Amino acid sequence: MFNLSRAELIIHIKNLPQFVGKVQFALFDTHSQASKKLLVATEKNIFASLNSRTGDLFWRHVDKTGPDGHINTLMMHGQDAVVVVGNGRLLRSWETTVGGLNWETVLDTGSFQSAAYIGVQDVVRYVAVLKKSAISLHYLSSGHQKWVENLPESDTVQYQTVYSGGNGQVFVLGVVPNSHIVIVEYNIEDGEIMKQKSVAAPWLSSLQSSCVMVGSGVLLCADPTTKSLYTFPLQSADQTTMTPILLESLGVEVAAGFQPVLISTQPHPARPPLSEFFLQLGPDYHILLQLKDGLVSTLRDFNPSYLVAFATTGEKTVAAVMSPKNETVSILFILSNSDPFHLHTYSVIRANGSNASVINLYSADTGRRLLDTTIIYSMDPNGGKPLYIHTFLKKDDSVGYRVLVQTEDLVLTFLQQPGMVVWSREEALADVVTMEMVDLPLTGTQAELEGEFGKKADGLLPMVLKRLSSQFILLQAWMSHLWKLFYDARKPRSHVKNEVTFETLSRDEFNLQKMMVMVTASGKLFGIDSKSGTVLWKQYLENIQPNSVFKLMVQRTTAHFPHPPQCTLLVKDKDTGLGSLYVFNPIFGKKSHISVPALPRPILQSLLLPLMDQDYSKVLLLIDDQYKVTAFPSTKNVLQQLQEMASSIFFYLVDSSQGRLSGFRLRKDLSTELIWEVVIPTEVQKIVGVKGKRANEHVHSQGRVMGDRSVLYKYLNPNLLAVVTESTDSHQERSFVGIFLIDGVTGRIVHEAVQRKARRPVHFVHSENWVVYVYWNTKSRRNEFSVLELFEGMELYNSTVFSSLDRPRPPQVLQQSYIFPSPISTLEATLTEKGITSRHLLVGLPSGAIVSLPKMFLDPRRPEVASDQSREENLIPYSPEMPIRTEWFINYNQTVSRVRGIYTAPSGLESTCLVVAYGLDIYQTRVYPSKQFDVLKDDYDYVLISSVLLGLFFATMISKRLAEVKLLNRAWR
Amino acid sequence: MQPLSRAVEVFLLLQSLSVVSCTFSDPDSGPSAGAGAGPAGGDRFKIEGRAIVSGVKSQEWVSSARVLVEGGEYVGFLRTDGSFAVHDVPSGSYVVEVISPSYRFEPARVDITSKGKMRARLVNYIKTSEVLRQPYPLQLRSSGPHTYFMKRETWGWTDFLMNPMVMMMVLPLLIIVLLPKVVNTNDPEMRKEMEQSMNMLNPNPELPDVSEFMTKLFSKGSSKTGGGSKGSRNAALKRR
Repeated sequence: MFNLSRAELIIHIKNLPQFVGKVQFALFDTHSQASKKLLVATEKNIFASLNSRTGDLFWRHVDKTGPDGHINTLMMHGQDAVVVVGNGRLLRSWETTVGGLNWETVLDTGSFQSAAYIGVQDVVRYVAVLKKSAISLHYLSSGHQKWVENLPESDTVQYQTVYSGGNGQVFVLGVVPNSHIVIVEYNIEDGEIMKQKSVAAPWLSSLQSSCVMVGSGVLLCADPTTKSLYTFPLQSADQTTMTPILLESLGVEVAAGFQPVLISTQPHPARPPLSEFFLQLGPDYHILLQLKDGLVSTLRDFNPSYLVAFATTGEKTVAAVMSPKNETVSILFILSNSDPFHLHTYSVIRANGSNASVINLYSADTGRRLLDTTIIYSMDPNGGKPLYIHTFLKKDDSVGYRVLVQTEDLVLTFLQQPGMVVWSREEALADVVTMEMVDLPLTGTQAELEGEFGKKADGLLPMVLKRLSSQFILLQAWMSHLWKLFYDARKPRSHVKNEVTFETLSRDEFNLQKMMVMVTASGKLFGIDSKSGTVLWKQYLENIQPNSVFKLMVQRTTAHFPHPPQCTLLVKDKDTGLGSLYVFNPIFGKKSHISVPALPRPILQSLLLPLMDQDYSKVLLLIDDQYKVTAFPSTKNVLQQLQEMASSIFFYLVDSSQGRLSGFRLRKDLSTELIWEVVIPTEVQKIVGVKGKRANEHVHSQGRVMGDRSVLYKYLNPNLLAVVTESTDSHQERSFVGIFLIDGVTGRIVHEAVQRKARRPVHFVHSENWVVYVYWNTKSRRNEFSVLELFEGMELYNSTVFSSLDRPRPPQVLQQSYIFPSPISTLEATLTEKGITSRHLLVGLPSGAIVSLPKMFLDPRRPEVASDQSREENLIPYSPEMPIRTEWFINYNQTVSRVRGIYTAPSGLESTCLVVAYGLDIYQTRVYPSKQFDVLKDDYDYVLISSVLLGLFFATMISKRLAEVKLLNRAWR
Repeated sequence: MQPLSRAVEVFLLLQSLSVVSCTFSDPDSGPSAGAGAGPAGGDRFKIEGRAIVSGVKSQEWVSSARVLVEGGEYVGFLRTDGSFAVHDVPSGSYVVEVISPSYRFEPARVDITSKGKMRARLVNYIKTSEVLRQPYPLQLRSSGPHTYFMKRETWGWTDFLMNPMVMMMVLPLLIIVLLPKVVNTNDPEMRKEMEQSMNMLNPNPELPDVSEFMTKLFSKGSSKTGGGSKGSRNAALKRR
């Protein structure tokens, strides 16, 4: 039983997928030709550097969540990247090769407007940051502030743009909506106001949306009502009005709902912007224009075109245009290119139909299409968005380029000319919400065997024949397996391919390899092989509201061949509560064709019953806001079973806004009746969380053997709910955390405890006969663990069946608390198949480590003074502070940033629990809470054992012989 | 069981009797930390320090390290020389730690008064009011790389021989072999004495004797032998 050798384990660790989330800004390090760094800043407040050749991360900096860590802008100069963070609170400069900070400066409060590099005589020296009411100038080398100035009349004027043409001026542009534009020129040396002008623009409401700087200091604005462009040279001394240019004079057709967007480019911050710019006339319509001597001329018309962008390399600037692919162009294209690669792409495009897009490069100054610059790719055109286009000069002086594309389902793709996908990243996985692990299907031969037992008997002789044939198949499979082993053993280890495809996907001997079904916040589902981490299928659910709640349930496992396994995802809108069901096969990711019940009313609760219909799928009950129950599947068989079982089906609802917990029972006609209600007054405390026990949890140890050989029986109530509350008063002396243990059937409060001077964050785990919760002790400013354990006493009331309705004696409750020397992100308990193995708690720390903490440390029977009996029981003497040892870190140095949840699943081996930690990264491993007691170690010494056995055998032989001789001698005597 | 748990609570209470209020009154409190009260207002401060890994260039580890104040409530990043500053921290008492997947740093507690005076001290979660001063700005020196792996047990003859179990086996064997030769076992008084001492060895007569149990099990029939030994092994494992 060697199931995981060391080498394999290390490979395992190296494949940790690390994610960054939805990218907002992306830049290519153009410092040197050989550079392969791509810098990205994302919505998850992450600033990272990606390897442009492989897509792996060089480094990643995870800032705090929320608006304080939000990245406002990213600018690059040389090797340094300047980042504005937290609505203009911090200005940071990063050294991009090392991944360390150069400097960091705190800026004044005030909402951030824009930032720009300021160049003097072709060299970029300063960075200017414009706030709502102030502008500050900082040295690029040190971050020190050169000067800061309040903006004139900042309460009426909305300052939005800062501009520098590179010759030492700093212009700040502001607007009084529907009145005029204010232009303020500052002296670069001391921040003195040189000039101040206002230009009438009664049609303008926002500079950022409708104005750009073009050419050498010309402000260009677009006005949708008069359908014209306005220009104004900033440095002109005498001009006081803007020059209008009618769009019709350019020969441009303007549609009715004209929402103009201008796009210009300033390739070098120390030089003025180019005089060419794009004007977006419609959602799919752009034109390239040029401003020369105050006159605007059309260079090229792009209709249709989804997106346009400028890109610069050296002295050359090009315009990249993404347009829908139409067949005629592609045929022309293929005629002009006889190279086989393009033919290949063409065939791919045909297969994908209309989803293909084309990116072309055009020379910016003439509008001519550059030859050999077409990239065709097949992605959803509406979701796809080229984030960044990096161009470079090829050896023959023509322009080559790479494109980073982000689609709506958060796939980052890096395309290289010609039409090649260099890499792609599934950034949706940075936001996993919930997941399940599903057993893999059996192999064909195993399924064949299963099928034999599943079918009805059809005579003696065919049965015998079938039996023989299946045995033969098994033999054959075993022989081929042996051959493969022999064959693989001759090859060096690294050459053995471990590629995972659907064909090779099958359950292993110990059920260690499973399919991880992950649901992400963006509504994308993934099927990931747990052994290799390969994404085997993905499915993007469209029209998912951003604040949806997901609940994933496995309705039918793989155990019921030939019925396919079935997972059901309940998607619930958080605001309206309206839900929808999505049923799919978790192994192949295909949507199932089973008709799904319509859910017209908001869903309050869903529960998966252990009942099965004739197709072995578990029954899902959905309770709506009128307490009516919908069953899925709702076949006749199911309804009949439900009628029979109705009186023993109970469920509970939690209304945390009113602090009400209520228990219901199902009636035969699928309506419900209220059985109990517990109200926790919301003025004093509010419900933080309610947790029952996991449905797949087994406990095969009924009690604990004490030092005197008597048994302390556990209170194993499967209906027990742990309810954690928190005081509404957050004052550190009066705040508290409360815990209630409520029986879900009868509503009886089994136990209640209050932790004074405690507040959130509260995490808790409820399992077996214990509840562990963590809270923050406001008085001592530390995190504390508290464990509650419930026991029935020295004898069981009813040892065969547990019934909530027949429990005369309350359980004995033991409690103990400990100090935990670190904050906690998430908490979960290990789970094994039979529940014999001792338990560990898995604690996710903010540092990204996952600690596997033996439950033995959280045992309320730990004595203050060790006695003989406690030693007999292996109880550790009580110590207030819990240790954290790095040996307990199950993820070693592969930290899981911002760990959001830990999922545990049993494997086929009792000693082994499968663990998946997800947050920004996903980490899957196995833990052995009681060591691998059912597996031989991989360095098991067969030679020693067999030599000892042989030695003993021969020793007995010899001693037997000797004894015989001795007996004989004695007899002779 | 109830009294036990109460006793523990009392114990915990005793541990945390004294409180450190946010504003400590320490006259000679630390270096005159006029350190960077944000220009916005007097109520936000910055925590400064430097993380050092001796013998390793800072470029090799700063990109994977972060500074967490109170477990991520405030976050700081390291400069290329290992120094750091965490901005916008209001007055209070915070645990500051440098986290790095490869190097271990001890956390430090930083107290900031409402006037912006700062001091650093050792983190002591049990005696929260104890002050063991540390230099401020913080000097966090790594105590070496993390040890994530336990050393694998190797097998050697000396380990085997020095094993207490083996010693325990060898010594009685010697006694059994040698004692009859030294002591005259035929002497009835001596025999009586020995029997007594044997009784002393068995401390708790109520406890079921393992050997007795095993003989009972074995005597039932040889077919159950395998099961019996397995059971005892399982029991041993469980106890571990």
